[in-house]
Amino acid sequence: MSATGSFHEGVHLVSGDVGCGKSTLALIMAGFFTLSEGTIERKGIKSCILSLQFPELSVTGLTVAEECASWGVDTDKILDSTGLHGRENESPLSLSRGELKRLHLACVLDQEYDLLLLDEPFSSLDCREKARLCDRIGYKKGDGITIIFTHEQNILPRVDRIWEISGQALVDCGRPPDAFFRWRHVPPVIIRLIASGQTPDNLSLDDLREAECRIHG
Amino acid sequence: MITIENLRCRNLAIDALTIRPGITSVIGTNGSGKTTFLKLCAGILIPDTGKVMIDCVHPRNTEVGWVNEFPDRNLLFVNVFDEIASSLRFRLTPCNSIDASVHACAGSMGITHLLDRRVLDISGGEKVLVSLAAALVHRPKVLILDDYDSHLDAGSVALVEQQIRTSGAEYVIRCTQQMDTAIRSDHLLFFNCGRITHDGTPQQVIPFLRGTAWFPVLWRCKN
Repeated sequence: MSATGSFHEGVHLVSGDVGCGKSTLALIMAGFFTLSEGTIERKGIKSCILSLQFPELSVTGLTVAEECASWGVDTDKILDSTGLHGRENESPLSLSRGELKRLHLACVLDQEYDLLLLDEPFSSLDCREKARLCDRIGYKKGDGITIIFTHEQNILPRVDRIWEISGQALVDCGRPPDAFFRWRHVPPVIIRLIASGQTPDNLSLDDLREAECRIHG
Repeated sequence: MITIENLRCRNLAIDALTIRPGITSVIGTNGSGKTTFLKLCAGILIPDTGKVMIDCVHPRNTEVGWVNEFPDRNLLFVNVFDEIASSLRFRLTPCNSIDASVHACAGSMGITHLLDRRVLDISGGEKVLVSLAAALVHRPKVLILDDYDSHLDAGSVALVEQQIRTSGAEYVIRCTQQMDTAIRSDHLLFFNCGRITHDGTPQQVIPFLRGTAWFPVLWRCKN
């Protein structure tokens, strides 16, 4: 895969087919892979967090409480926000995958960072939790660079720029809504809204619902 | 018909449920008992009380194809070919027949190019496609898929949907958080806090989800 581009402050979305190299690109950006050629310059990036696609691979604590402690976060606050009070002594690996993802993301998003790399953050989350994650990402906006690598099609946050990996190369599709007309992986719901004459301003559920309301007057 | 009566298991309680042949989608909140329900239907779990019967037969005596919500937990063998071939080998299927079946199944899933790869080296979405191929290759009567589509791109989801519908499985029970997928089902079950709170066709269930994140954006346009 080849990639050229500049990721500025804000929220970026990277899409692509299964096996196209999204996770590899996330690992490269996090500094875990050595490039065969080229360079990555991280201007002003003092702290970087990578949230792995599979939350079970990030677990280091034997209990939910230990897992929270390993991230250096306020355990009570995380248990409150994830609805896991009463389960602090359970193994993180005994949680459902959605619950584990929720715990993992709550710990990640409680950190301070300049660069946040989220690999498939929506996988396993139920629709309500996906929407909450979008709100949280929006709330954290302005705190640096957030790059979301995802297949999610329906529940996404407002983003500043859309990218895709196509033909083994990273392609900059631009800013929404103009990007929708260049984006090969544009979600079917947006295709249908555009076909109905209503282009949403951005990717969020509010944007999609606002466009849907315009169809119905 | 799949019949469930007086079932209690972990946090899940179902007094009575009937599932007809076709595609049933299971949706709802995280931790609401969806995976427990799927494991009971697959015979992986035995209920504390009550029973699950598939056409009057216990799930453990039924041919079931299963895909776990944790992609890595599906994978037992080193390379992709061996993974897909495993269920046929366990049935002592002749080697030449196994070879043909694995290639045909991998071809239909678009993963022939992965057959010689190590399962550890492929992407998350590719692991799901391999797991699906392994679940489909022995043509099960019941196909049970837990959150299989959360690592797949839209093109792969469409391909998998086609394979599911032509698999010959009499019953497909799948957990999904993609409402576009859920509404393409014969039967929809909504789980919350260990209970099935809505049960019916998508046309019957979706109106109850209005105002929630589960309500499909284009439902009003579709209907």
